[in-house]
Amino acid sequence: MRNILKINFLLAFVMLFIQFSSLAQVSADEGKELFKNYCAACHAKSMRVNATGPALVNAEANWAEYDRADLYAWIRNSQAEINDTKHPRAVELWNTYKPTIMTSFPNLTDDNIESILAYIQVAANPVAVAGENISGPVVVEKKSNTIYYVLALALAFLAFILTRIINNLNVIAAKSDNPDAIVNRKSIIETLTSKGLISFVVFLLVVIGGYKSVNTAVNLGRQQGYSPEQPIKFSHETHAGINGIDCQYCHDGARRSKHSVIPAANTCMNCHSAIKVGSEYGTAELSKIYASIGFNPTTGTYIENYEDMSESDIENIFTKWIGDNYLEVKGIAELDKDGNKLVSEQWKGIKESLTSDVKPKIQGPIEWIRIHNLPDHVYFNHAQHVTVGKVACQQCHGTVEAMKVLEQYSPLSMGWCINCHRQTEVKFAGNEYYEAYEGYHKELNSGERSKVTVEDIGGLECQKCHY
Amino acid sequence: MKQENQGIWIGEKDLTRDPEFIKSASQEFAEENILEKLGEKNVSSNLESTRRDFLKYLGFGLGAATLAASCEIPIKKAIPYVIKPDEIVPGIANYYASSYVKGGDYCSILVKTREGRPIKIEGNSLSSINKGGTSARAQAMVLELYDLNRQQDPSIKGEKVSWNDLDAAVKSKLAASTNIRILTNTVLSPSAKASMGEFIEKYPNTQVVVYDPVSSSALLDANEQTFGQRVIPNYRFDMADVIVSFNADFLGTWISPVEYATQYAAKRKINDVSNPKMSRHIQVESHMSLTGSNADNRILVRPSEQGAAIVALYNAITGGNIQSPSLNDKAKAALNKVASELKAAKGKSLVLCGTNNLAEQIIVNAINNELGNIGSTVDFKNASLQRQGSDKDLSQLLADMNGGKVDVLIINQANPVYDTAFSSEFAAAVSKVPTSIALSYDHNETSMLCEYVAPVNHILESWGDAEPKKGIISTIQPTIAPLFRTRQAEASLLVWAESVNYDSNADQPYMDFVQSNWEKTIYQKQSRFLSFNAFRDNLLHDGVMSIEDNSDAVSFSGDVSSAAASVTKPGSGDIEISFFETVNLGNGQFTSNPWLMEMPDPVSRCAWGNYLAVPVGFDGVRKMVGLNNLKDGDMVEVTIGDNSVKVPVIQQFGQMPGTVGLALGYGRTAAGKCGTGVGVNVNNCISLNGTYPNYFATSATVSNKIGKEDHFSCVQYHHTMGVTAEDKKTGEMINADEAALVFFNYGLVDQGYQGALTDRSIIYNSHVNELTEKLEKLHHKREEAQDLNDKQIYAGYDELYDRGHHWGMHVDLNACIGCGACTVACMAENNVPVVGKKEVTRHHEMTWLRIDRYFYGNLENPNTVYQPMMCQHCDNAPCENVCPVNATNHSSEGLNQMAYNRCVGTRYCANNCPFKVRRFNWYDYTTADIFPANQVSLNGEDEPFGANNLTRMVLNPDVTVRSRGVIEKCSFCVQRIQEGKLTAKKEGRRLVDSDVKTACQTSCPTGAIVFGDMNNKKGELNKKLESPLNYIVLEEVNVRSSVNYTMKVHNRDKSFDA
Repeated sequence: MRNILKINFLLAFVMLFIQFSSLAQVSADEGKELFKNYCAACHAKSMRVNATGPALVNAEANWAEYDRADLYAWIRNSQAEINDTKHPRAVELWNTYKPTIMTSFPNLTDDNIESILAYIQVAANPVAVAGENISGPVVVEKKSNTIYYVLALALAFLAFILTRIINNLNVIAAKSDNPDAIVNRKSIIETLTSKGLISFVVFLLVVIGGYKSVNTAVNLGRQQGYSPEQPIKFSHETHAGINGIDCQYCHDGARRSKHSVIPAANTCMNCHSAIKVGSEYGTAELSKIYASIGFNPTTGTYIENYEDMSESDIENIFTKWIGDNYLEVKGIAELDKDGNKLVSEQWKGIKESLTSDVKPKIQGPIEWIRIHNLPDHVYFNHAQHVTVGKVACQQCHGTVEAMKVLEQYSPLSMGWCINCHRQTEVKFAGNEYYEAYEGYHKELNSGERSKVTVEDIGGLECQKCHY
Repeated sequence: MKQENQGIWIGEKDLTRDPEFIKSASQEFAEENILEKLGEKNVSSNLESTRRDFLKYLGFGLGAATLAASCEIPIKKAIPYVIKPDEIVPGIANYYASSYVKGGDYCSILVKTREGRPIKIEGNSLSSINKGGTSARAQAMVLELYDLNRQQDPSIKGEKVSWNDLDAAVKSKLAASTNIRILTNTVLSPSAKASMGEFIEKYPNTQVVVYDPVSSSALLDANEQTFGQRVIPNYRFDMADVIVSFNADFLGTWISPVEYATQYAAKRKINDVSNPKMSRHIQVESHMSLTGSNADNRILVRPSEQGAAIVALYNAITGGNIQSPSLNDKAKAALNKVASELKAAKGKSLVLCGTNNLAEQIIVNAINNELGNIGSTVDFKNASLQRQGSDKDLSQLLADMNGGKVDVLIINQANPVYDTAFSSEFAAAVSKVPTSIALSYDHNETSMLCEYVAPVNHILESWGDAEPKKGIISTIQPTIAPLFRTRQAEASLLVWAESVNYDSNADQPYMDFVQSNWEKTIYQKQSRFLSFNAFRDNLLHDGVMSIEDNSDAVSFSGDVSSAAASVTKPGSGDIEISFFETVNLGNGQFTSNPWLMEMPDPVSRCAWGNYLAVPVGFDGVRKMVGLNNLKDGDMVEVTIGDNSVKVPVIQQFGQMPGTVGLALGYGRTAAGKCGTGVGVNVNNCISLNGTYPNYFATSATVSNKIGKEDHFSCVQYHHTMGVTAEDKKTGEMINADEAALVFFNYGLVDQGYQGALTDRSIIYNSHVNELTEKLEKLHHKREEAQDLNDKQIYAGYDELYDRGHHWGMHVDLNACIGCGACTVACMAENNVPVVGKKEVTRHHEMTWLRIDRYFYGNLENPNTVYQPMMCQHCDNAPCENVCPVNATNHSSEGLNQMAYNRCVGTRYCANNCPFKVRRFNWYDYTTADIFPANQVSLNGEDEPFGANNLTRMVLNPDVTVRSRGVIEKCSFCVQRIQEGKLTAKKEGRRLVDSDVKTACQTSCPTGAIVFGDMNNKKGELNKKLESPLNYIVLEEVNVRSSVNYTMKVHNRDKSFDA
């Protein structure tokens, strides 16, 4: 029995070691992960060129003359540093980059930030890694989990050897006490199938399983990073980024309604009745819009009685358009093999994108795949955030203007909402509505209170979002 | 015998300490014996579960959870418009002005649509008729649109056909016919009349017969005889100081109840307590109607004595001595006093009569003439057209049909096989007509007999207009495209008439017809607009328009003494029975509507069936006993002439001894899932007086108890606010409140219940003349309560609501008439499910807002007070601190919040709520649950009413549909609060009263409910809160509720009771 306990303690120790060694450490690996999640949307991965946000290679050097905590504060909430603290470096940066606001990351710990900074150096100097010391307060090594597995295996092996030795010693001890006694040495199988080991393994599985289950359950229905393939390869990068179209030109519900609204096909036609060939996909994707709404790109007119048109007639219109376009680009007179292939592929694309089990006809609306899904019992209103709160679209949706394929940037979890409501200041000034909050106005005027957050006006209460 | 009760009571069980009631009142919900329940469903049960079972379920549960967890998140589509209409912004509601019209029922409304889907009805405040108020029927019309019982396709002999085939077949029949009849209910629409005119032009041998499901034919005929106009006068309740109504339920069902209620309430509200003024309302009837329950005095006469009573009043006023049948002495004495009051208020009084008796109506006209009311309270300018039926024509039609003189019968949206006095005769006659055509909205008794069925649109899918009163035009515009292959009745007539004014190929042909009709008629009569387009746009925007009514003034001419000779003669039977229309179901026109079916009758508080109202009498000792010792829910057999029906009984306070009452509108045989077979049909018990149906019978017999109703669905005793206490003598648990009442009333010694427990402040009432002293008492009590509340251990811990809003409500009990429009509006707004009869019996009704009905005063002829009761949003809420998961908690704006997704269903909150306003989802009433195992179909229950995709279209998308196992309750329409706040924020201005109005508030025809921000000192709510009449229900329990009620003030003349 004693043996069993010993083994248990030993194994438990091994497990604990593995657990703790991965916590509370600064590592470039962790930094990489964090960078990918939080920073990469705005800051270039090479760290040496400016993107939406500046190149980060010299970030630490630029802040070296200030307290390290200032840098942490800057990264966590840059606007506070600019407006409230008026940190000289912060103001300097703001003057260069305004009006682009850096998203706040209040949930990053100091260690997290150090990890990111470490990764920045790793990423900026790819050759200079491998064990070299890099200037900074923490020695960073390139680590991976493999070492823990190796260590765990080694310890397990050690535990196994120890068990064998103890076993043998026990046998020897028993024999020396009573040389006549028949003492069987426990076989490996017996050790492995001992009650103690089995119960330990079960215990371990329950703990790990429980931990995983809870985590999975908490994340159930969350789709951060979700970027499904859409029926039309619409690129936000092309529209909002390169061409600089305002988000609310197409998503015109955002300022006045709960829904931001996916634009109707006729909104697309405002521009695309003129721009008929796309910069990226040529005729392949734009023709889908025309086929949906009934626009003949060859003649530049809407098709009469399009609703009742047969599929082969539609096919004729669009294959002609695609083919003609191909000829024009190639400068040839007749469709070659590639041309024929292109036409049939693009037509197939149109058909597949615009039809489904419930919609056999090509005519009619485009069935986009919804990316941002909230549970049914959550009430969210875009107008409240966009028009009243003056929140930038990017704060929740990320740098959409840089996304070729749209993905869900935020977790859309309740914790995420709540965190923002806790920090965000309500824009009292300039909105007469908030004069109803007399108590806060008094405190603000007397200097008792520096700001009113969404939480202060009830932004964390159940029936603000659930009813 | 003249026992005055100083307190309030809700019914016989309450008054007499019925032990079963005491037991049930101490429980939140009706408890059934578990074994009985299982036996009922034939569950072969082993109630003990073994360890193995436990492990099995545990294993299954784990497995299911794992499976559910590993499922991939389903792909959701977002489908935008191809071409988005300009006026639609997804997520924002649009409102369209339209009208609710059903026969002669009328209300000007705004239809709220979301993404093109009508989901809610609001009153149109521009209307001079309903002034923004609505009725329960108008509120429920939107559910009718999504009724599974609708006619969906044209059909011939039950076979689906195309419109072309139907039109061809009908036209050939019409062309070959010599005698065509169109049978219809009252038609308010000038355009519909024009379309009938075109039809008649094409087929000159057509006659139109109009009838009303509950006839007012005698009133119309009397007006024609005495005033020369076959119309309903424009009654002015707002100008009447004394109102005497003979059996006219003008607040509930008679002619134009919303309009009358609006005017009536203006004279009932107490605006100045130092000089209180209110009208006196005297109701002469046998069965307590909604109107009677609101009256100051009720004079009890048998239905057959109405005529005698009217003549007696005439004699008393004129001092004449016209021969009249005998009348009970008490009523005679009372009517003499009424006469002197009426004479004192000449020109400012109003006498009405709801009986369908020509002679009686003529005498009532004479009385109004004597009193100088013609031209003032009985005005023939802007006379009402809301009843146009003629009983004579209907009888003639029946005779013609039986005589083979009709070869085509077109029945336009009416159900004569059910809702006339000749129901079965009519069915037989229809089969004698060679060609019968039903223009029918739903599958009903009549459409089933007709060969051709041309399905009609719902009014929310239709174009049209209405002229409810002369000179008042109201529009009807579609708010959704027809859901099925239906066509407007008017359009069908025009197609069959091959009208040149109707272009079938146009986009919206009937719209063109209506608008060209406007251009030809009303546009010519107005001078405000110079172009027709501007006129039309304005009309469609406002929904209503007034043009001058050039009717001539009228003068009375009639022979009273000859009329007096033909009034009803008192019957000799022991028991007389009256038949009446209910507020919710009419004469069956609304029976297939689940919202109205589940809405309890305001007076009897019964839902899902008609209950025989029997009188209760005081036994002289301490008990109230019903007729034949009948108790609530007992089944009896009622025999009326050759007919007999088996009905359950409800004991009704205020029912005249020797009379009983039974509602019309039930017992339909074809009314869809909801209405078929609920209650009993008594239309065939109605006798005729000449051609006029008499809505009573003079000799009825009521048997003794023959059984018990399986599911007694009266909500009267559900959710009462009683407190149980132990009787110190006997040790049994009794209702302390009741005990106190009974002991007090019957002079027994008080057994020492503590003040705050026994003397609970639920209702306060006062006579208008005693107001000063009663108010003093009220204020004293409130101070006392306040004093008690201040002596608490957490004194000074009160939340300050100076940061933003503090929502509150004020309910004026003097304005509330109990019509129930708010309860239906609440169901529509908040996706409250309909649970069905069986569930109602188990106290499981889900209404967030109920209207409690209390009696006070005279035991046998009491006064009534209605109290809308919803979550009081207590600032010191007892429900909040018992929730183990904090699913209900308080907001900084004073709202008592309910987070459904947090609720685990312990029901501790419901248990701890002193107002009993929390509701538990015992089943998956809306089938919102994604786990099929939770759905009712597996539990042997009926499929719920909302469980199909058509009905689900009525759901408000801004309100969560609750699933099984969670508590819900009134949220003060938090979705409207949030929407209103957002509007103000977006516009950068302070919130004003009109931004946030709750559903109950907007639906109320009398303005009894006012909601608002208590922090807005300039708001309407704060003005109301200053009234000295206000009190807080159960103030002494220190829950700090946010709802104020006013003391009920009545104007009863006690000398009438002598």
